[in-house]
Amino acid sequence: MNILFEFLKTTGAVNMSGGNLLMILIGMVFISLAIRKDYEPLLLLPIGFGCIVGNIPPIAGMSVGVYDAGSVLSYIYFGVSQGIFPPLIFLGIGAMTDFSTMLSNPRLILLGAAAQMGIFLTLIGALYLGFTPAEAGAIGIIGGADGPTAIFLSAKLAPHLLGAIAIAAYSYMALVPVIQPPIMKLLTTKKERLIRMKPPREVSQREKIIFPIAAFLICALIAPGAIVLIGMLFFGNLLKESTVTERLADTARHGLIDIVTILLGFSVGCSTQAQTFLSPDSLLIFGLGATAFAVATACGVLFAKFMNLFLKDKINPLIGAAGVSAVPDSARVVQMVGQKEDPQNFLLMHAMAPNVAGVIGSAVAAGILWSVLVG
Amino acid sequence: MSESNFNYQNIINGQGFELAFAGMIIVFTALSLVSIFIALLPHLLVSVNRWVPEVHHHSAPKTKAKSPAAGNDTEIAAAIGYVLHNRAGGSA
Repeated sequence: MNILFEFLKTTGAVNMSGGNLLMILIGMVFISLAIRKDYEPLLLLPIGFGCIVGNIPPIAGMSVGVYDAGSVLSYIYFGVSQGIFPPLIFLGIGAMTDFSTMLSNPRLILLGAAAQMGIFLTLIGALYLGFTPAEAGAIGIIGGADGPTAIFLSAKLAPHLLGAIAIAAYSYMALVPVIQPPIMKLLTTKKERLIRMKPPREVSQREKIIFPIAAFLICALIAPGAIVLIGMLFFGNLLKESTVTERLADTARHGLIDIVTILLGFSVGCSTQAQTFLSPDSLLIFGLGATAFAVATACGVLFAKFMNLFLKDKINPLIGAAGVSAVPDSARVVQMVGQKEDPQNFLLMHAMAPNVAGVIGSAVAAGILWSVLVG
Repeated sequence: MSESNFNYQNIINGQGFELAFAGMIIVFTALSLVSIFIALLPHLLVSVNRWVPEVHHHSAPKTKAKSPAAGNDTEIAAAIGYVLHNRAGGSA
């Protein structure tokens, strides 16, 4: 009978705290959003289930959880905590990204740069709230709207905030269709939203092959901290565009990225144990993350309007919102908002240019913050 | 979080404004250079293509799923033709 009582003391139900229950509930909300609303299901579903798994109270002395040395989950989480998974995801993203629209209209790249203001303005906000510069840099990168980059940088600068930053980044990425449209409408007039843009020119295969090599050299020589992310992104793209390594490109954009996404999403979810995750800092990070997203969107739209002051062929300022690098969701949001005004206006292909430029921009920003704030 | 107080001085101490300004300048510089390079690339390639013409890179041959009848098209056409010919009352 004693054995039975001793066993009962170790059960999850007995050791469950209110915080654990709350996190399990949040995990269920994520799963529900993924299934019912189709919000970033490839990420929210693994993260949501990970939240549930990570918040079952472990038995004392048993190595089970993400933070227990030697546990299976800790080995999976190693890929997150050491920043291994994000570059592999970038490899896959590079292998599935077509830079043609960006190559055909290079001025749109600047919109991808403008949206990175969200990162740096949020950094200032985080400093104001009392975070250290390294923590502020890791929080600011949420404004890049790029989950792998956010995980990579927080693993390097503020590993103790990694769970909260990753969850905030992916939550807001999933909420792009909710967060962005009101800001886009607020900052543009109906006339601006109706602007039609010229169709992109055809890009030669040689341009597509030269681009990843040249762009890598330019970015890496300016911000060497971005070598890992940018290098993998452009390597993946070269695999695709060279046309002679189709098998490798196919693996990178399907099998590899899927495996890494499963492991990353699940282990990030598991890292949200209530005992470490539920803190006032996490709440501040969520608040700052939302601000970062909103500011990044606004900066992209406003910069497009600014560019229009000097351009003969006007840019539809809505596509500035796609400068946040939530690929391709923010480009889809641009298309959706644009078509509400004019159903025959197809902005998706134009929005993809700042969208993929935003991926490059946020990786460069991460490289800068890493090299300046590390140590 | 090192301090729990919200203070403007934190930004100054953390060199927040300098960091933000320098960061944005670097991001804009990097992407502007990429943009300029892309804009110049087609013009550069016009010259390059004169000396080194663009070749169509080979890609891996695509395997087609073979149906049981694959490769027998000629025989099938011949059989259909034979049946139609017989129905029309023709003789060999």
